[in-house]
Amino acid sequence: MYCINCGVRLADTEKKCPLCETVVYHPDIIRGEGEPLYPENRMPQRRPKSKAFHGVVIFLFLIPLIIGFLIDIRTNGDLTWFGFLAGALLLSYVTVALPWWFEKPNPVIFVPCDFAAAILYLLFINLHTGGDWFMPLAFPVMGALALIVTTVITLLRYLKKGRLYIFGGALMALGGLTVLIEFLLKVTFGLKMVGWSFYPLVALVLLGGALIYLAINSAAREMMGRKLFF
Amino acid sequence: MAKIINIPLRWVRLDNAAKIYPAARRKNWSNVFRQSVTICDEVDVKILKSALDVTVKRFPSIAARLRKGLFWYYLQQVEKAPEIRQEYSYPLTFMSNNEMRKCAFRVIAYKNRIAVEFFHSLTDGTGALIFLKTLTAEYLEQRYSITVPPEYGVLDRHEKPKKEELEDCFLRTAGPVRASRKDTTAWHLNSELQTDGFLHQTCFKLRSEELVEAAHRYNATVTEFITAVMMKALENLQTEKQPQRKKHKPIKVLIPVNLRALYSTETLRNFAMYTIPELDPRLGEYTFEEIVKLIHHKMGTEINQKYMSSVIAANVNDERNMAVRLIPLPLKNLVMKAIFDTVGEKKSCLSLSNLGVVKLPEIMKQYIKRMDFVLGVQAAAPYNCGMLSYGDTVYINFIRNIRYAELERHFFYVLRDLGLNTEVESNRN
Repeated sequence: MYCINCGVRLADTEKKCPLCETVVYHPDIIRGEGEPLYPENRMPQRRPKSKAFHGVVIFLFLIPLIIGFLIDIRTNGDLTWFGFLAGALLLSYVTVALPWWFEKPNPVIFVPCDFAAAILYLLFINLHTGGDWFMPLAFPVMGALALIVTTVITLLRYLKKGRLYIFGGALMALGGLTVLIEFLLKVTFGLKMVGWSFYPLVALVLLGGALIYLAINSAAREMMGRKLFF
Repeated sequence: MAKIINIPLRWVRLDNAAKIYPAARRKNWSNVFRQSVTICDEVDVKILKSALDVTVKRFPSIAARLRKGLFWYYLQQVEKAPEIRQEYSYPLTFMSNNEMRKCAFRVIAYKNRIAVEFFHSLTDGTGALIFLKTLTAEYLEQRYSITVPPEYGVLDRHEKPKKEELEDCFLRTAGPVRASRKDTTAWHLNSELQTDGFLHQTCFKLRSEELVEAAHRYNATVTEFITAVMMKALENLQTEKQPQRKKHKPIKVLIPVNLRALYSTETLRNFAMYTIPELDPRLGEYTFEEIVKLIHHKMGTEINQKYMSSVIAANVNDERNMAVRLIPLPLKNLVMKAIFDTVGEKKSCLSLSNLGVVKLPEIMKQYIKRMDFVLGVQAAAPYNCGMLSYGDTVYINFIRNIRYAELERHFFYVLRDLGLNTEVESNRN
């Protein structure tokens, strides 16, 4: 039997052409029964990640937690700073250790989760210290940063091209964030708006613009590649 | 039950070529290759296990497991033969560190086929073929009560291993001058990966006589001719992917060279070097004749004792350096892996390994229908190709970890345009 698309002669076992995937069928030709090269649908079992490893990691996080708890109770007779330690350890666990539980951790999911954990930790610090900086400053800054980083990671993961555009756009957005930070500092703490944020804004917008220019202009990109290779 | 000779378990240092492979391993990739023999009846697993028990004693450097020392890995002979494993839907399934610690090769039985998969640190294609032939001879003797003479690469299972079979010949054959390692980066095909770890095997079967005749028309050997077909297919594929010729990257095919004939040795360890014919598609489209000529002269220039000794010297000198030797193994692994990732894999688009014409003792031929040689994919490139000739057929096995058979399709088109008939079969049904 020959493939009707690419013309290769097929072994009797082939149900589809291995080269072009055209289905093998001819109503008038009876094909011989060939032995398939390999058994069908018998895949090796993938070993799941060791639970013992995760147990050890949790244990390593629990050691400073318990020691911190005991020291705080013994020295102050009450829990004073232990909440900060527990929050920091929990945040570290969520950002560093939690993705290891999954076979293929997806950063598009984990990065927003990490930012959410960091925002909650800042909220806890704000409430515990009686501050009033969370809603006017920490939340919008962290929220904007989370949006920029998540967008970059999502685009990098799902788009095969356009990295220079992505990084260029991200740098410009970070420049805008510095202006937002200066403005929110003024609103929250009444600091004078001296305009320091315009320096990083200009630098980041220029740098981002340069990357986008390189993305558009292939001759300039080639020239930079020639000058900066290592 | 055949008599099993008892000798003390041995350990050997890894040979020069083998040292890089344990360091270069990664989560989804181990450098494993397969050779198989298809016999006339269904394989009797019990007899195969018995034959393996006998055979492993004869090959202390191949029937071995990978162990760690403080400064280097080493191979230790296994106490007993591994169990015969069942076949999966694809060859060369991942060999984990844990598996290599127990035994760094596998014997697999499926219907009429006996396959052996070797971690490359144990031996090269030629050593593996001797192991497979000897195992098959022992199996046939036990299964059909015949006597197979120890000839054509079949060893006498009841004699002790010879000293020269265990020799690391690289150390002896290194020349006084080191060859340069400077090399260009080859084109690598980027395509949609197979996510479940499945490896596609596609086998092209050609009539030996027809292929030899075609090769002779171009004044080439079969290896040179098939390498030219491969390079032409790669060039066509690159043109399909990137129509702008000035953006093309070099087409390079790594051809392993068996050094045993050059240096007259019987070692069963790794003893192969390579040559890498190259064409630069930016210079213009090459005709098939030009590619054959280019490969022919490249191989003629490099496959000789003097040049190979200088390439061996470049590798061996690093190993002899006292400072390198004293670096602890985990650090060495980091450095060797970095070198392998940045240099080793970028030299070629793929490997094309030809074991040549497989000869067997006359009495074995009636029981053996077919033989195959399958390389594992490269760590960072999706293809590799192994071939051999048995009886009147040449078996060219492609392996890939990407979804679509793009290179195979172009390979077939080149063969077709040269007027060669081919039959194709695969493991994807």
